[in-house]
Amino acid sequence: MGSIASRKQRAFGVSWQEQSIFVTGATGFIGGRVCERLVQAGASRVRALVHSPHRAARIARLPIELCPGNLLDPGSLREALAGASLVIHCGLGDARAIVQGTENLLRICVQSGVKRFVHMSTTAVYGLTPPPGCETEEAPVRLTGDQYCDNKARAEQVVLKFGKRGLSAVILRPSIVCGPFSAWSTRLIENLRDNRVVLIDDGRGSCNTTYVDNLVDAIFLSLENEQAIGHTFFITDGEAITWGDFIRAHIAMLQNKPQVHEAHSEQVAKYYSKRPGLIRASFKATGRVLRSREFRQMLLQIPASERLLTMAWGWLASLPEEKREKIRARIGVPRQIRPLQSNGQHMPDEVTFATQTTTVFFRIDKARDLLGYRPRVSFNEGMRLVEQWLRFANYL
Amino acid sequence: MADKIRIAILGCGAITRSAHLQTVLLHPEVELVALVDADIKRARLLAGTLGTKCEILADYRSVFGRVDAIINALPNDMHATVNQGALSAGVHVLCEKPLSTTAADGLACCELAQQKNRLLAVGMNWRFFDSHRLLRLVLEEGLLGTLDRYDWECGGSFDWRSASQFYFSQALAGGGVLIDFGVHLLDKVIDWLGPVSGFDYQDDDWGSGIEANAIVDLQHDGSYGRVKGRLRISRTYTLKNRFLLLGAQATAEIPVADPEVIILHRELAGTPISQTLRLENSASSSSYAKELDNFIESIRGRQKLKVDGWQALRVIELVEACYTHKRRIAEPWAQLQAESSGLSA
Repeated sequence: MGSIASRKQRAFGVSWQEQSIFVTGATGFIGGRVCERLVQAGASRVRALVHSPHRAARIARLPIELCPGNLLDPGSLREALAGASLVIHCGLGDARAIVQGTENLLRICVQSGVKRFVHMSTTAVYGLTPPPGCETEEAPVRLTGDQYCDNKARAEQVVLKFGKRGLSAVILRPSIVCGPFSAWSTRLIENLRDNRVVLIDDGRGSCNTTYVDNLVDAIFLSLENEQAIGHTFFITDGEAITWGDFIRAHIAMLQNKPQVHEAHSEQVAKYYSKRPGLIRASFKATGRVLRSREFRQMLLQIPASERLLTMAWGWLASLPEEKREKIRARIGVPRQIRPLQSNGQHMPDEVTFATQTTTVFFRIDKARDLLGYRPRVSFNEGMRLVEQWLRFANYL
Repeated sequence: MADKIRIAILGCGAITRSAHLQTVLLHPEVELVALVDADIKRARLLAGTLGTKCEILADYRSVFGRVDAIINALPNDMHATVNQGALSAGVHVLCEKPLSTTAADGLACCELAQQKNRLLAVGMNWRFFDSHRLLRLVLEEGLLGTLDRYDWECGGSFDWRSASQFYFSQALAGGGVLIDFGVHLLDKVIDWLGPVSGFDYQDDDWGSGIEANAIVDLQHDGSYGRVKGRLRISRTYTLKNRFLLLGAQATAEIPVADPEVIILHRELAGTPISQTLRLENSASSSSYAKELDNFIESIRGRQKLKVDGWQALRVIELVEACYTHKRRIAEPWAQLQAESSGLSA
């Protein structure tokens, strides 16, 4: 652990806090914490890109400027950026937003003379199950067929392209980012409560946790450290935390101990090798899309469907609350993790299977050496803070 | 006065779209004269949605003299000014909550309504849930015994599609979750348990004036004696979403998901039981429809307003006092790291 005094000196060594800072993805988990930490650090000119204003309740508490805009709408993006000199890009969205949105932003950053661009990437650029050999940043990025992973990999390529054109860009690759507001914790708690958690191979898979405040430290270091420019860094807590450790830490927070199902990776792999054919899987996926909140939001952009939905809302509003609640429950977003039953054996969903069977522990030596990164929130301390937050947020 | 009450709806945002327009169009004694919005396209689109043939206007002042009443569904900062304009023109007002963003403005509205002998109703539609009347009956009958305390949690992820997005501007909204739907809770506990004789207020505002979470500890000294309670409201967290009023003999529960009923928890011969109470012959219409009906019937002189300006004013006075004396909610998960890194301001 680095000494606090040396870190403090570094943090105040440059006056990035006095510059205009633009944050994308500010209504999300990481971007929201970035905004909070910027305010705590004394940054007085923070502009946050807000794509979905109704999701901005957390950051609306902060003395920052909420700028409506969309990564896919360069005009709104240019207006929102408004001459900011530092950009922290945590924005996500669909495939287009991840790649094209990043390119739109980078182009405007170059035109506006942005001094530093910090790109939030992910270790998932190596796929959901990174193969051995990916322990350091030098391992070449590979496309795996997973849409999210591949698009994040493509977005990195776009950042590197603009870096070659002279933009001072830094790429950070965190892994399982945990902390208050992290869905890794909230979903896990909900699934534990419902006895829907499956532990694969006794939880031996590498979890590669990154406590969100450690990540924000790395972001701030990337803003101030000249040596970081043009580099890509893995950012984790630097501890060999397994999925078993992560899940057990959450079980310890619960008063009523849940039933955790066990599975072996060979069994799960065999199960998924016999998964439903293309047509059946497509029907199931279509159902999920149609019921999703994101799809309903997109429909609102079409005037005719906006009108139909408005009428439906009016009808819904005229019903007694009890009936409304029943309808809401029926059309609600499906649960994220739903173990399947196969001959009495609980099966994890495919994403859980892929993430829990990771064997790679990402090394953070480069971030330590070049960036001066020191993960100062340990896994145990992070889990203590997560538990405090989960209690306040009524998850426990 | 014409056979039907002529009404204009000012503001064509989310609440008009989801509640007011439909209830006005469905009311047999109301004629919708105009929809008004500074964004005339928005007003036109909304009118087209339900096929109404009313006038579409951009300036709210142009309806005065042509209507008997208005529904003021404009952003919060415009409530008081528009209310006063309408009342001065002799127009009855049903104002969306909050009545105003300051107590001084609210008082001016109430005094003007009195002076002009016009009705000033405030859209506290939660008062029209059956459970509100049911709890009053339960209290009057003494079913709970001596009252001990109450605990009310109400919160979920903010998902209000405000057309103008005024909610996240302190200047336009007047505050955050407390002045938004917190006023409903304050209004109801005051109506049930009497005036507030003491309070303590905490929220999570970091400097914008738009809190997402608030905790209000209250003390009432009313006809049921001294009763203390806590309200916790949130725009970011799904809370327990239920009201509990604990008495020596029983506890009354109102689930947020079904605000038309009361669940009474008590013991019979030492065995815990729960009993769901609901009003017989209750109208199945929405709280907004009941609110409008009360407004129309009051204009006709056949009912009294359930929530008039004076009742809404006492809530705004309390909100203002809360904001003046607020403390920060402790968020150790957010503070600790900033302190240990030396990065805090």
